[in-house]
Amino acid sequence: MTDTAVIGQRVPRLDALDKVTGRAKYTSDLKLSGMLYGTFLRSPHAHAIIKRIDTSKAEAVPGVKAVLTQAKLAGKVAKLVDEAHGTTMDFLAFADTKVKYQGEKIAAVAAISRDIAEEAVRLIEVEYEVLPALVDSRDAVRSDAPIIHEGEKPVKAANGETLRNVLRSTDRVEGDVAEGFAKSDQIFEDTYIVPRAHQSYIEPQVAVAEVDPSGKVTCWTSTQSIFGVRNNLSRCLDIPPHKINVIGMTIGGGFGAKFGGVVDVYAVLLAQLTGHPVKIVYTREEEFLDARPAPGLVMTIKTGVRKDGKILARQAFALWDVGVQGSGSWATPRVKGVYDIPNIDVHGYDIATNKPPTGAYRAPGGPQASFASEAQLNKIANALGIDPVDFRLLNMREGREVDFKQTIRKVAEKVDWWNREKGPNEGWGVAIGEWTNGNGPSSAVCTLQEDGSVKVFSGLMDITGTDTAMAQIAAEVVGVSVDRVAVTRGDTNSAPIAVASGGSQVTFSMGNAVRRAAVEIRERVVEIAADLLEARPDDLDLRDNKVSVKGAPDRAVTLGDVAKAASKSKGGPISGKGSFANEPSATTIAALIVKAEVDPITGKVTLRRIVQSLDCGKAINPMAVEGQMEGGAVQGVAWGLWEQMAYAPDGRMLNPGFLDYHLPTAADLPAIETVLVEIPTDNGPFGAKGVGEPPITPGIAALQLAIADAVGIDLHQAPFTPERVRAALREKANGN
Amino acid sequence: MKSPITLQINGQDYDIFIEGRTRLLDAIREQCDLTGVKEGCSTGDCGACTVLADGKPIASCMTFAMAAQGKELMTIEGLAQNGQLHPLQEEFIEQGGLQCGICTPGMILSAKALLDENPNPTTDEIRFALAGNLCRCTGYQKIIEAVVAASERQAQSV
Repeated sequence: MTDTAVIGQRVPRLDALDKVTGRAKYTSDLKLSGMLYGTFLRSPHAHAIIKRIDTSKAEAVPGVKAVLTQAKLAGKVAKLVDEAHGTTMDFLAFADTKVKYQGEKIAAVAAISRDIAEEAVRLIEVEYEVLPALVDSRDAVRSDAPIIHEGEKPVKAANGETLRNVLRSTDRVEGDVAEGFAKSDQIFEDTYIVPRAHQSYIEPQVAVAEVDPSGKVTCWTSTQSIFGVRNNLSRCLDIPPHKINVIGMTIGGGFGAKFGGVVDVYAVLLAQLTGHPVKIVYTREEEFLDARPAPGLVMTIKTGVRKDGKILARQAFALWDVGVQGSGSWATPRVKGVYDIPNIDVHGYDIATNKPPTGAYRAPGGPQASFASEAQLNKIANALGIDPVDFRLLNMREGREVDFKQTIRKVAEKVDWWNREKGPNEGWGVAIGEWTNGNGPSSAVCTLQEDGSVKVFSGLMDITGTDTAMAQIAAEVVGVSVDRVAVTRGDTNSAPIAVASGGSQVTFSMGNAVRRAAVEIRERVVEIAADLLEARPDDLDLRDNKVSVKGAPDRAVTLGDVAKAASKSKGGPISGKGSFANEPSATTIAALIVKAEVDPITGKVTLRRIVQSLDCGKAINPMAVEGQMEGGAVQGVAWGLWEQMAYAPDGRMLNPGFLDYHLPTAADLPAIETVLVEIPTDNGPFGAKGVGEPPITPGIAALQLAIADAVGIDLHQAPFTPERVRAALREKANGN
Repeated sequence: MKSPITLQINGQDYDIFIEGRTRLLDAIREQCDLTGVKEGCSTGDCGACTVLADGKPIASCMTFAMAAQGKELMTIEGLAQNGQLHPLQEEFIEQGGLQCGICTPGMILSAKALLDENPNPTTDEIRFALAGNLCRCTGYQKIIEAVVAASERQAQSV
């Protein structure tokens, strides 16, 4: 790599000033004249037949403008299709004859205030006949289980069993696993369980919609993809995309859950019905009852190894508790990960339960599958007497551009792993998680202004600081300082197609589009400056907002001069466009080391150190990359220690709020240490890889090993609550 | 039945009409149009709605607007003085102490209350003081670094 002026600098976020002063505008800050407030009636039962719905009293409340039920949608909207989460989710806008999860929407009300809307909701009468609920995926697959979705057909599974309530499956078979096991010296078989977790962005789902008399829709919302929301609205409501304008407001966290379909569709429906703008803001309870949390997992995994530590075969059978809709099974093959395993036989099933639909949560399925995979590898290493880092080094794949081994070595060196020390009841754990960044369609336009500044325009939603990365990329290519780059986000009416801000793909995809647009600017700048300076294009240097002749820095023109000259030239003003899609993406790993202390009396686990390395290819902005690593590492570890969506046997959620669903606080955590590994990838802008998702994946397994190392218990079910730790310690004391 | 009250926010009086049960959060956001204060949970658990009342951080979602009369309230909009950012604001920017930004106003105000009372806190004291403000993006690392940096800068400028 050549030296860079802006790439690799710790540039503060472009939107930081607005965010520290309260000026940043989020969707819920919008107030339009005549705006109504929408709210929902939800089922209190997880599984019930609806015998009767009577909305007459609600409709009579002064200030109520609309009460919407499925019956009133008849002939207009039949189904919502949610393709944003890597799968088609197909369900009614409202339950009409049967509810399948607690919190399912039965009616929506629009009124002149939130209070009136809530009062009207309370007046809607619904008569239910309550049915037994399926809460555990292991019960849902039994041959005598009730059927959640009509028309379901039993599935013959790879293990010979017949499974009920299967929505879809993912299978991956390589080599001959039976032969692999036959050659193995030892075979390990374990079952690991991970609960559902909620992304828990602090800004709840929110949308404001307005429909003009011609039927044109405007929707302001908090989303990771304005184009995704637009396309989804178009499909759900049968409105052509060009009649829908989606405006992305500042987004208060998404982590995979904000791709639309949760509130936006309903805001538009109510706006259509009333002729008023309608705002819907979820409450935190609604978030837990009816958003898109991560599916739970029960995975039985079997691994055969040689005495020397070489993994020969791996088999996995996974039941993903996706709720009424959703998908996790596609992540099952991650149990192969970055390891060189010749024989693989992996089967994952998405199982319907009477729980809310699920969606993507940062590296969807990755943390769950990685827990089973990595925790068992730690157990095997221990049984073989091989250090867990060495065990991974022994089995990792190697390939061009990818040096997984360097990433885990770096984190191990950071903590002096091979000489690590611990006090009583302290333990160390290690795990890795792999991810391949997305490479979706992106397009951007850059223009050179007559003052020598650069504008970058796209439809990108910035959550993690990607606008700043785009500014750095454009600045580097054109040779301007980053404070002379303005990044503007368009809406779906104005902006070229942008990739969704998910799948670790923004820097990779949009970064390439911006780089290409900036290269077009650079080429014209060079052409015009060469004329102005009477120099050969090859001899020009673009740096510090000017173009100079190499070796003769006094022979220079500013970029403003060039822009002005361009406006008078036949070519006209300088602008560039860049597009990118579907070029080979890069696989990376995050390696995590956790040190924890276990109180053997209370079972409480205290985190002492969290140290993570990540191969980011090239850190466009190291501060932003560290931010992704720190936040992701904590989410991963928190899933192992505190977070779980808990359900009663009747399917009602036990902890739908932040009092009982424990998010980590500042006081729960030690400092997070990060090690950036930079192995440039050919296709990334300046060698960059996507970094958003890998950091969350190794958390649960690393923590599990730290606890095992501390007090000698081998936990198989996350989170590792004091109760579970104490129970395991008791079992151990009893010699079981 | 609405009643007139006066809220003193950021040194300015706001004469508004509210109901007895109107939350301070709604009064500030909806009637005073200060939308820097955010709503994350409505149960006092996340801290996004933090404002300062007589210098102490409170959850405005758990406070009746009526009960805030006579108190000097501060929202994030009132922290910068005469166009000059507070050192906490500057350090949250410089250290990368924010991502999505939804927790940032409340986080900074809780940090301000801490530094006003304890200008040189240890990192443990910072972690404890910010434990009522949830952040899902940062893992708190750069937030802690920002508060440390701000406290060091304030110490130098005294």
